[in-house]
Amino acid sequence: MGIKVDLKKQYNDTAHSGKKSVKKSFTLDVSFEMENELVVLFGPSGSGKTTLFKCISGITDLDKGKITVENKVYFDKDQKINLPIQKRNLGYVFQNYTLFPHMSVRKNIECGLKGWEKEAKEERVLEMLNLLHIEELETRYPSQLSGGQKQRVALARALAPKPEILLLDEPFSALDLEIRTELAEKIKDLQAKIGIPVLFITHNLEEAFHLADKILILYEGKAQQFGAPEKIFYHPENLHVAELVGISNIFDDAYVEKHDEESKCTVLKSGDLSLRIKTQKFKPGDKVSWGIHPENITLLLPDYSSENQDENIYFVRINDIINKGPKKRITLTLVRCNKTLIAEVPAQFVDSLKLHAGDICLAKLEMTKVVVFHKS
Amino acid sequence: MNKIIPKIKDMIIMLDKVWFPLSLTLWVATISSVLVLCTGVIIAYVFARHDFRGKELAELLVTLPLVLPPTVIGYLLVILVGRNGLLGHLIYDFFGTGIMFTWQAAVIAAYTVSLPLMVRAAQAAIEAVDKELEYAAYILGRSEIETALLITFPLAKRGILAGLVLSFARAVGEFGATLMLAGNIPGKTNTMSISIYSAFQAGNDELAQALVLILIFISLLAISLTGRFVGKLEA
Repeated sequence: MGIKVDLKKQYNDTAHSGKKSVKKSFTLDVSFEMENELVVLFGPSGSGKTTLFKCISGITDLDKGKITVENKVYFDKDQKINLPIQKRNLGYVFQNYTLFPHMSVRKNIECGLKGWEKEAKEERVLEMLNLLHIEELETRYPSQLSGGQKQRVALARALAPKPEILLLDEPFSALDLEIRTELAEKIKDLQAKIGIPVLFITHNLEEAFHLADKILILYEGKAQQFGAPEKIFYHPENLHVAELVGISNIFDDAYVEKHDEESKCTVLKSGDLSLRIKTQKFKPGDKVSWGIHPENITLLLPDYSSENQDENIYFVRINDIINKGPKKRITLTLVRCNKTLIAEVPAQFVDSLKLHAGDICLAKLEMTKVVVFHKS
Repeated sequence: MNKIIPKIKDMIIMLDKVWFPLSLTLWVATISSVLVLCTGVIIAYVFARHDFRGKELAELLVTLPLVLPPTVIGYLLVILVGRNGLLGHLIYDFFGTGIMFTWQAAVIAAYTVSLPLMVRAAQAAIEAVDKELEYAAYILGRSEIETALLITFPLAKRGILAGLVLSFARAVGEFGATLMLAGNIPGKTNTMSISIYSAFQAGNDELAQALVLILIFISLLAISLTGRFVGKLEA
C-alpha cells in the first residue's frame, strides 16, 4: 500500500516549466516510500519539487525508474509501463489553482466525474461542497471567488473523483496568513478523513513542520533526507538540509576529539572551542560540521554558575541586536575563539536583562540541540 | 408618373441582376466558412499543441495562399481539381461530372484562400490558453479530444470567432482564384466580385455601383456584428 517512487529524469537543455526555467543538465533523482500520510516536499525554488509532481502525474515523461501508487504501476521503465495521465487517478492542485474560468464551480467539480450517473454525480458534487464548506459558491464563476475560495474549489474538484493520491503544489502561496492556517488545518483533517497519501509542496518552513507526518528535503533535484519533522530538524544529515531548516550557525572546522564515557557524550573540537554533544554516532577523528538553531541558544547573565560542568556555556560579546517583533536577533562573538553566532531570543527576555550591544554575557548551547553531521 | 414607372422598372431589372450574384456569394462564403471553421480549428489545434515530422512544411503549405497571387492559387487548384488533375480525375470517375465551372469550384477557391486566416487566428488563440488547464482536465480523466472541446476551444473562442469573420470576409471578396476555377458563367458562377468586374467592363456603371455598395454594406455588417458579439463574450 501507499506510494513507492524511484525515478530519474534528466534535462539536458533549458526546459521551461511554467514561469521557471530549469537550467542546463538538471537531474531529478528521487526515491522514497510513503504510507497513507501527509508528506511535505521542502526545498528551495528550482530544486525539482514541481517537476517531481509532473513526473508522478504523467505530465512529464521519465527517463528511468518506477512509480507505484496503491499497487497500481504508474510507470515502470523496465516493464515499459507508462500509464496515461487520465488513467492514473490522482488529485492534483496546481499552484495557481487552474480552475476552468468559463465554468461555474459546480461544472468545475463535475468535470472529473465523467461517466457517473446523473444522481450520483449531483450527490458527489454536494458532498464535496459540504466537505469544504463552499455550498454557497456552487453557481459562481472562478473570477468571482477570493483566493481562499478558489483554493477550496480546486480541492473539491481534485477530490471529487475519489483519487488514490493527492498532490498539492504550494496550495497556500498566494493566501494571507489567517486563511493559510485555517486551510492547513483543513488539509490535515481531510487527509485523516479520506486516508489517502498526500504530497504537499511548500516553501514555508513553519507550514512544513506543522503539517507533515514526514518531510522530504529536495535540493538541486536530489532527495537529501526523508523523515519525521523532528528528525529533520534536529538531525539534519548534511549541510543543505541544515541550512534549509533554518540553522544559520554552521561551522565545518570540527573533528571528534573523544567519547566521554562518564557523561555519555562526545567531545568536538572546533577551532579553539570544545563542544559536548549527546550523540554517539561519530568516531574519534571524524571530520564533522556542527550547527545550532538560533532559537536554541540561551543567553545567561555573566554571574550564572552551573552545577553541571559538562554544559556548553561560553562567554560572548553582544555585537548587535535587531528587533524582529516578538523576538530579537542577536549577533554574538565567542570571546575565546572569535566565532560569530546568531541567537534568537524572546524580546521580553532581552528587555528585562537590559542587554545592549557591547555587553558581555554567557551563551548556552543546549547539548541535545546541537546539530552534527559529517562534513560534505 | 411617366417618369416614375420606368424608374421602378429599371430598379426591378437591376434587382434581378443583383439578386443572383448576391445570393450565390453569400451561399459560397457561408459553405466555405463552415468548412474553414471545422477544419481550420482542428489544424490550428494540431499546430499549436503537437510536434510531428514535417510540421514546418505543413504550416508553410497552409499559410502559403496568404502570400501567393490569387491567380497562382487558381492555376494550382486547376492542376489539382481540373478534369485531368490529381483529385479532379477521381472526382470525375466518382460523380461522372467535373467540378470546374460550378459553384462548388467557387467554394474550393474561397476555402483555400481563407483557411490560412482562420488557422493563424485560431492557432494564436489556442497557444494563449494555459496548458496547465488542459493538464488539469487530463488529470480529471478527460481525453485529449474532450479537453479540446470542453476547455481549449471555449477559451480560445474569441480568436476563433475573429478568424471566422476574417475568413468569411475574404471568401465574399474572393476574385482571382474563383475566376480561374469557376469562371464567370452568368446565372451559375458569377459571384459579386466577378459581377462587378463584368459590369464595369461592359460599361454598366449603375450595376457596378449597386454591387459595390452592397459589398461595402455586407463588410460593415460583418464587422459590427463581430464587435457586438465579441463585446458580449467579454462581459
